[in-house]
Amino acid sequence: MTRLIGQRLLAMVPLLLIVSFLTFSLTALLPGDPADLILGDRATAEQYEMVHERLGLDQPFLVRYVQWLEGAVRGDLGTSFFNSVRVVDAVVQRMPATLSLTLASVLISVVVGLGAGVAAALRPRSWIDRLATFGATIGQAIPNFWFGLILVSVFAVALNWFPATGYVPFKDSPGQWLRSITLPALALGLSTSAAIARQVRSAMVGVLQQDYIRAARAQGLSALRVTFKHALKNALVPVITVLSFQVTVLLGGALIVEQVFAINGIGSLAIAAVRQQDIPMIQGIVLVLVLVVMLVQLVTDILYGLINPKARPS
Amino acid sequence: MTSASLPAQTTRKSRPAWMTPSTLAVVIPSVLVLAALVVCALFAQWLAPYDPLDQDLIASLQGPSAAHWLGTDDLGRDVLSRLIYGSRIAVIAAVEATSLAVLIGVPIGLFIGYRGGWWDRLTMRLVEAIVSIPGIMVAIVIIAILGTGLHRAMFALGILYSTAFLRLARSVVLTEREEVYAKSARVIGASPTRILVRHIFLNIAPPLIVQVTLTVGAVLLAEAGLSFIGIGVQPPQASWGTMLNTAASYMELNPFLAVPPGLAIVATVLAVNLLGDVLRDSIGRGIRVPAAPSTAPARVRTAPSRPLPPRADDMLRVEGLEVMVSPKGGAEVPVVTDMSFRIARGETLGLVGESGSGKTVTGLALMGLIGAGGRITGGRVTLDGTDLLGLSKAGLEKVRGNDVAMVFQDPTTSLNPAYTVGNQISEVLRVKQGLSRRAAWDRTVELIDRVGIPRATERAQAYPHELSGGMAQRIAIARALSCGPKLLIADEPTTALDVTVQQEILDLFRDLQDEFGMAMLFVTHDLAVAADVCDRIAVMYCGEIVETAPVDDLFANPRHPYTSGLLSAMPHGASGTPPLPVIPGSVPTPGHWPEGCRFAARCPHVTEACAAPVPLSGDARLIRCVRADELVLEAAQ
Repeated sequence: MTRLIGQRLLAMVPLLLIVSFLTFSLTALLPGDPADLILGDRATAEQYEMVHERLGLDQPFLVRYVQWLEGAVRGDLGTSFFNSVRVVDAVVQRMPATLSLTLASVLISVVVGLGAGVAAALRPRSWIDRLATFGATIGQAIPNFWFGLILVSVFAVALNWFPATGYVPFKDSPGQWLRSITLPALALGLSTSAAIARQVRSAMVGVLQQDYIRAARAQGLSALRVTFKHALKNALVPVITVLSFQVTVLLGGALIVEQVFAINGIGSLAIAAVRQQDIPMIQGIVLVLVLVVMLVQLVTDILYGLINPKARPS
Repeated sequence: MTSASLPAQTTRKSRPAWMTPSTLAVVIPSVLVLAALVVCALFAQWLAPYDPLDQDLIASLQGPSAAHWLGTDDLGRDVLSRLIYGSRIAVIAAVEATSLAVLIGVPIGLFIGYRGGWWDRLTMRLVEAIVSIPGIMVAIVIIAILGTGLHRAMFALGILYSTAFLRLARSVVLTEREEVYAKSARVIGASPTRILVRHIFLNIAPPLIVQVTLTVGAVLLAEAGLSFIGIGVQPPQASWGTMLNTAASYMELNPFLAVPPGLAIVATVLAVNLLGDVLRDSIGRGIRVPAAPSTAPARVRTAPSRPLPPRADDMLRVEGLEVMVSPKGGAEVPVVTDMSFRIARGETLGLVGESGSGKTVTGLALMGLIGAGGRITGGRVTLDGTDLLGLSKAGLEKVRGNDVAMVFQDPTTSLNPAYTVGNQISEVLRVKQGLSRRAAWDRTVELIDRVGIPRATERAQAYPHELSGGMAQRIAIARALSCGPKLLIADEPTTALDVTVQQEILDLFRDLQDEFGMAMLFVTHDLAVAADVCDRIAVMYCGEIVETAPVDDLFANPRHPYTSGLLSAMPHGASGTPPLPVIPGSVPTPGHWPEGCRFAARCPHVTEACAAPVPLSGDARLIRCVRADELVLEAAQ
């Protein structure tokens, strides 16, 4: 297992290099001179030169890339164009909100998706199955931010059960954190729940027809045991794959759902950076997001190996 | 097939999958929604009651009224008009981003798939990198370069979704390439490149259409999302996303504002996705699915056989068992009728017949495991004095494993791939016998050792895929015997195995029976295998037993024409001359059995009397043939 993790970590390096190069190339692609953004209209030629020197813009592109990469390896992603905030600090400050929203919605989608998928698979063509399939189809067509608005109007505005906006860090108050994260996580988790439910249903229906399920029943094991021990573990194999992909989708979706609930996460940071063309900030955000995605994929790979013995290196 | 003789079937032809009522119920509303969308987009000027940008600050944030059917927004603009104009944005967005994605993705995919090598590797690494960034973030970054606005945002989405088309086109080329070059090696003169191009164009269309529908749905959601966070379509232009952006600011004053644009998005995406599902299903199924037979064949009449006299050493008695199954969408048909046999303690009965004769179903029926598609409609099954068919679910569960156990045909599929083989045996011991974890494991290792697997302690930790077929079947046998059942049902247990392993497994069965003393029902299509392990043989044809006899008697003196036919079709030695005689004709499928003797159509000795149902008759041997006493039949050579 350690070898698997080591291999996967090594495999991340080239991908990170490509992503970092892609995002860094942004600077070259962006129209205009970044110094304009920083200095405004009335700047002297000396000021321009100073800014260019400070940003390293007088250096060739590749040299700047290597310098930026060296900094990134040391955990220094540069400084924002607009205030002297270090990109790493800004990202680290905003990340917990986005990550806890993403994780909470992963949890919700797994619970809802597994429940609905298994219930549907146990009785194919029954009303439960039809309801779950119908719900999953609708769920994948509902925009997460709109679902968020609906949740706000019902559970925050009308019923006042949850706060409409804001995010309370876990370390400040776990109870308040849960209250502040519930509606956003539900909104974000809807379409992934639907995707997982569909996947679980089809995997489960397939697995329940397998010989080994009948063989386990023939040994006199109960339907409950056969379903939840023998069938579910096999049906989870494709689900893990879907989940690994869905975490990327959720992380992206979180950027939008955060806006509905006025959560100060990576989303508002990224939107502000895009509007201001704050290049170091955009580069830093993309790099960190990709790193998170890769770590998630590493975790799902390990889970995959635990659940599917055929995938284990012998 | 004999189905042509059934008028009910010839009148119903197969029809396209999208024509079935349940599919039409999905397709028609979806098409209507999309048609309405396109009409709104094309004729927005005429359909919208107001100019979508006309402000009326006095009448702002109103609910639905006669003047404004869907109310007004914060600037007093008519929501319905904005919604109608918004559909234009939705159509433009979907068309722009999707065609751009196709135009970028498909040519590059075709190129790198064809070119291969360095180009392919580099591009695929890039694609991998882009895919690992959350999609919205990719779009945000591209918008950062290009600036905001509908067309720029759609350009960003086009680039984002082009990766899916790129991979699709590439994989089509790679698949077709294999095929074309394999073929063109034999067809000299045709340029492989030319054939390849033709092949690709023929094969890329179906997956491309499906991917387009997926992309259109995703684009609509992404456009709304980008406009919602303010970096897509810019106000005051009316798009569903910007309308929701406005609605979000006034949630407390007028929550209704969020409803019309939201529902419009949901309805459109739902329609596109549902159509995509239908397309994918019909393409996946090869467009046409055969319709199930609509009418049921009449319930078969049988002449019930004389009850078997009870004996003191009976372990299993099956009397008049009848099983019906319902094929998908069709009516119930009988698959086993008038099934009667007995097995004594320590005895092995072979149940022999061609595939489809109902032997496996019989085995499963004894265990109450026919599944949702079938049911037992008559008869009695008694195991050591217990009426199995009368047992409750829980009672039956208790009997399974403890009193009856089963070994299946393919050991590689009858063992759970996700657990070690030892776990699967010890689980049974723990659940059924209440052994402790420790004791169950020790007993498991003993059992694995007993079925002839060397290094049992180590092998218990193996997963099924790490064992050979013969080894896996030994494990399955060990599991079946773990609770010392009174009856073991073995369903073609050697058919899936290597010929060299078959004999070892057969020997194992014989040894184990001597040791455990259980009765055995040995289901097989192979008379030679049955002769090897069985004491008596019951020959099945079309869901019923046609003859039961001790092995030697059956081989020396078959009394049913079908048994005789089977025996003379058995290969002997390696000479191959003269060619093996075969029984003319084919086995009628369930639902198409004749009312009288089911073998009559293929029987050389058929008479008029064969048209009526035939019961099993005889004393020491049971035969289902009206001419059993007069015929002299060919025996095994």
